[in-house]
Amino acid sequence: MMTLLSRNRIRGVVIHAVLFVVLGFWMIPQVYMLSIGLRTPAQAFDAALFTWPVTFDNFVTVIRDNPLGGIFLNSLIITVATVAIVVAVSSLFAFSCAILRLKGSMLLYTTLLTTLMVPLASMVLPLAILLKTFGWVNTYIGLILPYAALGVPFAMVILKAFMEDAPRELFEAARVDGCNAWQTYWHVALPLVRPALVFVTIWQFIVTWNEFFLALIVLTKSEMKTLTIVPMQYSGFYMANPGALFAVLTLIALPLILLYVLVQRAFVRGLLAGAVKG
Amino acid sequence: MATLSIDKITKAFGHTTVIPELSLTIEDGEFCVLVGPSGCGKSTLLRIIAGLEPISSGRILVDGVDMSDAEPPERGVAMVFQSYALYPHMDVGRNIGFGLKIARTPLAEITERVGRAAEKLRLGSYLKRKPRELSGGQRQRVAIGRAMTRKPKLFLLDEPLSNLDAALRVGMRVEIARLKAELASTMVYVTHDQVEAMTLADRIVVMNGGRIEQVGAPLDLYHRPANLFVAGFIGSPAMNFLKGRVASAEGDQAMVSLDLGFSLRMSVSKPPQPGAEVTVGIRPEHIVLAAEGQADAVALKASVVELLGSDTFIHVRDGEESLVIRDSGGRMVRAGDRIAISLPPGACHLFDKAGQRISDTAAATEPA
Amino acid sequence: MRAGTAVQAAKRRSASKASTVYLFALPATLLFVVFIAYPILWVAGESLYTGTADGRAVFAGFANYTTILSDPTFWIVVRNMVLWGIITIPVQMLIGGLLAYFIERHTHALRGFFRTMFFLPVVTSVSVISLVWVQIYAPYYGIAQEYLKHVGIVMMTSPIGDPKTAIYALIVVNIWQWTGFSMLMYIAGIANLPSEVLDAARIDGARGWRLGVHVIVPMLSPATKSLLLLGVIGTLQTFPIVHLMTGGGPNRASEVFGTFIFKQSFVLGDTASGAALSVIVLVIALVLSLVQIALLGARLSPAGKDEP
Repeated sequence: MMTLLSRNRIRGVVIHAVLFVVLGFWMIPQVYMLSIGLRTPAQAFDAALFTWPVTFDNFVTVIRDNPLGGIFLNSLIITVATVAIVVAVSSLFAFSCAILRLKGSMLLYTTLLTTLMVPLASMVLPLAILLKTFGWVNTYIGLILPYAALGVPFAMVILKAFMEDAPRELFEAARVDGCNAWQTYWHVALPLVRPALVFVTIWQFIVTWNEFFLALIVLTKSEMKTLTIVPMQYSGFYMANPGALFAVLTLIALPLILLYVLVQRAFVRGLLAGAVKG
Repeated sequence: MATLSIDKITKAFGHTTVIPELSLTIEDGEFCVLVGPSGCGKSTLLRIIAGLEPISSGRILVDGVDMSDAEPPERGVAMVFQSYALYPHMDVGRNIGFGLKIARTPLAEITERVGRAAEKLRLGSYLKRKPRELSGGQRQRVAIGRAMTRKPKLFLLDEPLSNLDAALRVGMRVEIARLKAELASTMVYVTHDQVEAMTLADRIVVMNGGRIEQVGAPLDLYHRPANLFVAGFIGSPAMNFLKGRVASAEGDQAMVSLDLGFSLRMSVSKPPQPGAEVTVGIRPEHIVLAAEGQADAVALKASVVELLGSDTFIHVRDGEESLVIRDSGGRMVRAGDRIAISLPPGACHLFDKAGQRISDTAAATEPA
Repeated sequence: MRAGTAVQAAKRRSASKASTVYLFALPATLLFVVFIAYPILWVAGESLYTGTADGRAVFAGFANYTTILSDPTFWIVVRNMVLWGIITIPVQMLIGGLLAYFIERHTHALRGFFRTMFFLPVVTSVSVISLVWVQIYAPYYGIAQEYLKHVGIVMMTSPIGDPKTAIYALIVVNIWQWTGFSMLMYIAGIANLPSEVLDAARIDGARGWRLGVHVIVPMLSPATKSLLLLGVIGTLQTFPIVHLMTGGGPNRASEVFGTFIFKQSFVLGDTASGAALSVIVLVIALVLSLVQIALLGARLSPAGKDEP
């Protein structure tokens, strides 16, 4: 008994140690980024992961010299609007398929599903031309609506699966309680699939915030650019000053990392609640 | 309170007809139980009454008004679902008051009516709890409370006790009987459990294969089953059925001889053809353990004996025929014993080959 | 009279119900038609035309396609995409699966910590990641050549500057970024394994790696199939890492579909061949997806299309 217990304990310690070592290697790029950002110009080109001493001058400089707030705001507006549209549109559609079961909705569902198999790379050219026709180049809406269209199918799959898993009698009870379709959607369906809504919201937020290809093409004016596409211009601008470049990269990467750390528990809970149904 | 008239409705799913032309009237204030084996269409009928299931043809009238296409609230129905269907994200109070909220009832009135229902159902201290924090019986009461607060014209219950364990079920049955007296609402109750049907109903509707087999007061069904199906369905243990032939018939009297060797003289409503195949039904509790050598008695071997304390169930098997005898007299019988039994003709039911009752109402009363 | 009004009421009701239902499905349908279906049809049509010197479009049949298919770059792209897929997808599954297994079954207090930390590359902006890795790979001052020489790997130039190694160097970055995603999918799979089956396997004597190989791996096949499907689509839409780190170079050695389309369409302004390329990528994606769905019964389930 004792030996079994201690064998288990030793195994636990070894596995933890291995995981920490792997994690250490895994974190090198992020640590390196932060480390360069904290260097003085003299150390900037040292081929080392860590240098000493550290300075926060780079961060002070880049925050002072760059309109990071405005860029951040662009990212935020586009992302929040996209997430709101995706969640609203996909939950409405999932409700019409799973609960209202209207005629033709399954055909529509299958059609939308094929969007999941469309690589963004093949959509960029036609979308660019379409947005040009609409006069939507360098506008928020020009990114928000295509992002929403590309995001809806995935969200819809998850929300529909959750709604189908909910007991049907609940929706009948709502009908007996006098709810029309909209009230059933709002008061019953949405609260029932809350974990899935949270999951979809977070995932769509991550995907939209980090989208690069379409943003690169649609946003050409510097005052419209998002956090994802500005690093390129900084890499030219701060070519001779890696400390400043990596300070600004750290600042650009930080918001989403912090956000994820805050919401990861709810995100994983949604995932474990069956968002992955194979 | 309301009178519910179901007028020649049919219900088909695709090409399968589940309810072929059914009519039924449920009187104002009546507690009506729909009972039958699973798949008999009783739940479908209830859902049609509720307005959850559209009908293929026919009409549903509530107090004489055609409600065939009306939504549930327009019909004035409230329903208790088999799984209770409580909204998991709302606490007990909000669950009970949700229908009122949707109907835009003033908040003060909602609070008052929810409070009253909760008090009546002894849920007062649970109003802030979520359904998952409640026991099965408490959830059941919340579901009833939700239906109650809406002051429905029609109170529908779909197998409300089937998810409870046996002990709780007895308690809730008593509770529903109490509510029935208090609410004085027209109630339609679906169950597959004939004990619930017998104890709760003013009137029982026995269904089978989408059709109504018989409608009547509980004891009516027990004593005067219209056909073999009802006779076999009502009563536990089930009625014994014995094969026989009409030996002779004359006026309202018929002599029936059974394959087991009994010979019975019975009153009939219409005289059968001599020689016709018939079935005689007798309830286990009506079979008499006779003294050996009694004139009308037949000796048979007991195959299995179940001692329940208050009663003894004696199973008899002879060739194709089998019998269950319920003896409350405390006679000691062991498996393998030969016992003499007699069938009091007054307690026997006679059914023709088609399964329809042909014996007269003689069995309406307890045999002496 | 009453029957008549009832019928009318019913008709009104069903009519209003139908329009309500229509409203539920309308927004999704509109978004799909305008931003997915129409662009696809447009690009398919456009791929059959070619621009003339005076700006008119002339029907060209499959001329754009033959031009693309005879371009040697196209075949470099195909080779790179195949390499990308057959290296990235299994490696991510293997590392992600192992991480998931050890994190889920052998950690408790630190489980949330490990799950979060290994997932962080997924949420780190891809453009930031690309520039950091350029720095890591850099000759003279990058840390890769500095530290790898201690284990006997000497790099004279940046691996992304050498046509022979560029694509592999990019694949490493891609694997690093997306392994956390595979891990999370497997974590969800492991957490949802029925514990009775694991107990039964234990009683049958399966322990340690035998339990893993014979019981857990087969039971995780839904997650594996999803990852495969998402991996293929993700491979085909690869763009930011390549665009930012090598631009498809050196000498087009690391070109992928994304960068190729980008160059044809937006740098060279050759809409016709860009359109033909877009259609080719689309068709490859659909065919590969459908083949997988038909052969494996794979389902498109979570988590998005940004994999791998």
